[in-house]
Amino acid sequence: MKTLPIRTSYLRRKKIIDLAARAIFLLAGLIAAAMIVLIFVFVAGRGIQVFLPGYANAQNLGEFLTGMRWRPDLSPPVYSVLFIVINTVITAFGAAVLAFPVSVMTALFIVKVAPKSLRLFFTTVVEILAAIPSVVYGVFAAGSITRLVSGLAAAFGYTTYGGSSMLAVILLLAIMIFPTITSLAIVSIASVDRNLELGSLALGASQMETNFKVVLSAAKSGIFAGLILGLGRAFGEATAVSMVAGNKMFGPTFNLFDTTRTLTTTMLSGLSETAGVDYDIRFSIGVVLMIVILITNLLIRYVKKHIGGVTNE
Amino acid sequence: MSSRRKFADAVRTAVTWLSTSISVFVLAAIFVFVFSRGWKTLNWEILTSDYHPKNIMANVVDGEPGQFARPDDLPADAVFSERYGFALTDAVDHQKEKQMVLTYIADDSPLTAAVNAASGPTRGDPITITEDVQIQRIDYMSIERGRKSPAGFMGSQQTAAETIERLEADGESLIGFYYQSAGGGMMGSLLATLMLIGLTLAIALPLGVSAAVYLHELAPKNRVTAILRSLIEMLSGVPSIVFGLMGMTLLFSVTALFGITTQSILLGAMTLAVILFPVIIRQTEEALLVVPDGLRMASLSLGSSRTQMIFRVILPNAVPGILTATLLSISRVIGESAALIYTMGVAINDKPEIGRGGTTLAVQIWTVMTGEQPNFELATAISIVILIIVLILNVSVKLVSARLNRKWRT
Amino acid sequence: MQDTTAFLAADPAGNIFEVADLDVYYDKFQALKKVTIDIPANEVTAFIGPSGCGKSTLLRCFNRMNDLIEGCRIDGTIRMEGTDIYDRQTDVVKLRTEVGMVFQAPNPFPMSIFDNVAYGLRCQGIRDMKILRRVVEESLKKAALWEEAKDHLHRNALKLSGGQQQRLCIARAIALEPKVILMDEPTSALDPIATAHIEDLIEDLKKQYTIIIVTHSMSQAARISDKTAFFLLGDLVEVGETSEVFHVPRDTRTEDYISGKFG
Repeated sequence: MKTLPIRTSYLRRKKIIDLAARAIFLLAGLIAAAMIVLIFVFVAGRGIQVFLPGYANAQNLGEFLTGMRWRPDLSPPVYSVLFIVINTVITAFGAAVLAFPVSVMTALFIVKVAPKSLRLFFTTVVEILAAIPSVVYGVFAAGSITRLVSGLAAAFGYTTYGGSSMLAVILLLAIMIFPTITSLAIVSIASVDRNLELGSLALGASQMETNFKVVLSAAKSGIFAGLILGLGRAFGEATAVSMVAGNKMFGPTFNLFDTTRTLTTTMLSGLSETAGVDYDIRFSIGVVLMIVILITNLLIRYVKKHIGGVTNE
Repeated sequence: MSSRRKFADAVRTAVTWLSTSISVFVLAAIFVFVFSRGWKTLNWEILTSDYHPKNIMANVVDGEPGQFARPDDLPADAVFSERYGFALTDAVDHQKEKQMVLTYIADDSPLTAAVNAASGPTRGDPITITEDVQIQRIDYMSIERGRKSPAGFMGSQQTAAETIERLEADGESLIGFYYQSAGGGMMGSLLATLMLIGLTLAIALPLGVSAAVYLHELAPKNRVTAILRSLIEMLSGVPSIVFGLMGMTLLFSVTALFGITTQSILLGAMTLAVILFPVIIRQTEEALLVVPDGLRMASLSLGSSRTQMIFRVILPNAVPGILTATLLSISRVIGESAALIYTMGVAINDKPEIGRGGTTLAVQIWTVMTGEQPNFELATAISIVILIIVLILNVSVKLVSARLNRKWRT
Repeated sequence: MQDTTAFLAADPAGNIFEVADLDVYYDKFQALKKVTIDIPANEVTAFIGPSGCGKSTLLRCFNRMNDLIEGCRIDGTIRMEGTDIYDRQTDVVKLRTEVGMVFQAPNPFPMSIFDNVAYGLRCQGIRDMKILRRVVEESLKKAALWEEAKDHLHRNALKLSGGQQQRLCIARAIALEPKVILMDEPTSALDPIATAHIEDLIEDLKKQYTIIIVTHSMSQAARISDKTAFFLLGDLVEVGETSEVFHVPRDTRTEDYISGKFG
């Protein structure tokens, strides 16, 4: 009955191609999903290797985790991260403390306060800030922020190491994580149910009062997500921070004008070989970094849960 | 409303204005800094020349002196040779070292015809002496001594004025020039960046789009698929420097299969591809979501296989989303530094190859800033290039997204 | 549940589908209960019933589009010209070229009119432009769209009106020379004039094809179908000649539905 020249050979080929293509798609999905596991396995593997007996210059795990010196120049070299972790946490949280209020207020401004015609302009400002690569931020920091810090230090009677200091790192990180937090805050504030606002206004509150008391609470979930993301970026930022940190060999640094060292700057400093303790120890630091990020994430989620407030879900 | 409440309101509003102004100010400060330091350095030379200066030895074909008039537009500090038609200027490089630069060559000066005098396979090949090269030594036939003599500052530390004076007075004819081509350029990194982008996209796009197609079109909607999705999302929480570490362990062994034993562009591309997975997969899935289900039903009811449906109906309609993903990826590749420092190295390579290391524009900034003396001029010049490209890409992303939304509204 | 054997076609050799004791489940929910029905060839059979009664579910079984729904399970048999279409050996892709489908909302591909109609053919490996052009023209003619479309074959199909799009979807299905055309409420998204066009078209088409149409409109069923089957909550309540079902229904539920007491 059919007049169409449908060749069975084509149909057979079509079936095989279909099965093969679906297998390839599946494979791609599995590879992508496996990567996080592989990262963990390989980085942790090489990082832990350093502490195992049988390794050439095996390090002492206890010393690594509790000491306060990073001296690759000594022989035998001393590698301890505790003070570095403390520095990292201080600088990251310091940056968050600076950036968070500015970010949230800016997001509130863009969504609720800015005249509609200017909204695009300000959103673009945030987007451009988000798009600037770290190295460019680093150059800016090394050129401008350090000078600012030197000037400030002189005014207070301190000296700095050319401006490279903990304060410079904190300022730099604050600037870098600002767009991250702001973009998420903008999305979150913009999606607050209009009815909540209307309810508040109908009760006699002004727009600004409503913004602060109702809208921000309702957007809490997304804003905290932005904070988590921002902190993650602050912990993981490497190249820009390296240009203004100073890489102090011991610590921790509590003086704003003193040089400092973070987990990431340590991972980037003095890269000369691609083998040996000096190289492999960076993997160990990488593991420490991931653990710090993980713990911080869990902590913030815990805090968020106990602050409560209206959710948008 | 009470005046106290009004005041509180005004304060709140002022705080939001202030915060936003801070951000605008910071952006302006960054741009002002980068452009003011880098704009004068940025020129066609820097874009197209190598970073490492080349030493060149060139002999002029006919070194007989002639008569040349000093051009009016030559700056006052350039010393002109009326017999040989060229000018030298004293200068200082960014590391505060003295240089003597060949700042002008007349159209019919003996310098316009020269051959390569360095030993090796290219000896005798014609060579063009260009302006803005740094003169190390000029060889000439000395009237006084009756033989080849040197002038210029290598060895005798002469200034431009002294060198020209010597040539005018004592030079029977010019023999040759020993000079350094201007280095400090970004061509090598520019090429490496382009190669890296191409290679990364070639690896990441097929894998990422395929993974997204699997998750959205083929995977059963159960918990396993949800777990796969979260595993992929988790990648976006990992700092890029850790990806660099992964590249040097896991992926390094893979490049070894290709016979590559060092850091390389290929290794960097593979590492970046992994970094880009969540971005590409998320964007593609969003594009797939927009395709109406009715089209899938129609295709299958007409006797197509799933694969035919995917390639003939779904993917063509997901093109704007995939395009967005591509543009975002390119932006990410250009901006990435930490992961590449590990996987591609920090040595600036003027002739990049896939199997060898090198620097991208971003990493070159890192290298010139972390040397003995940070080279702000070059770093900011490169920053300008990067900023312009990234801005263009981001605008493009916006335009493409707008078109994507418009398509399904008709 | 009523015994429907009395209502089966008098001449079994003229059936294109024979459904026997069909149960269909979506996870735990049973959408069809022990349905037994024969679909005669070259006639228009209408499935009517209130929303959720299972008529669309049954329709989708005939070209196994139900396979695409997660958690859908079948018990029982459906035979097409003697062969069980749910047999493991069945080539589903081939089945779908024999049993075409037109959907409730017209769903032309965002391609040209020509490419839409040629889509099914190309998926079966036919690339010869001469053949494609011939088949596209024939199909558009049979779907009563040729006159309007012949000068605009390369225009994007989305630019057609709703009624034209639906005729395009019919042409697209016809292009594969199916034996059966399944129609799932094909005119519910169209205006009355377009609806009338499609109904006329169905009258023409039944000479060459078997048509099974699910419809919400009883008047439509009464107008165009030869046989009507009434479903309620997963049961096949009554099936028979359209004039009988509408004028002398055997079951009170049928009578209630037809007189508008519910649905």
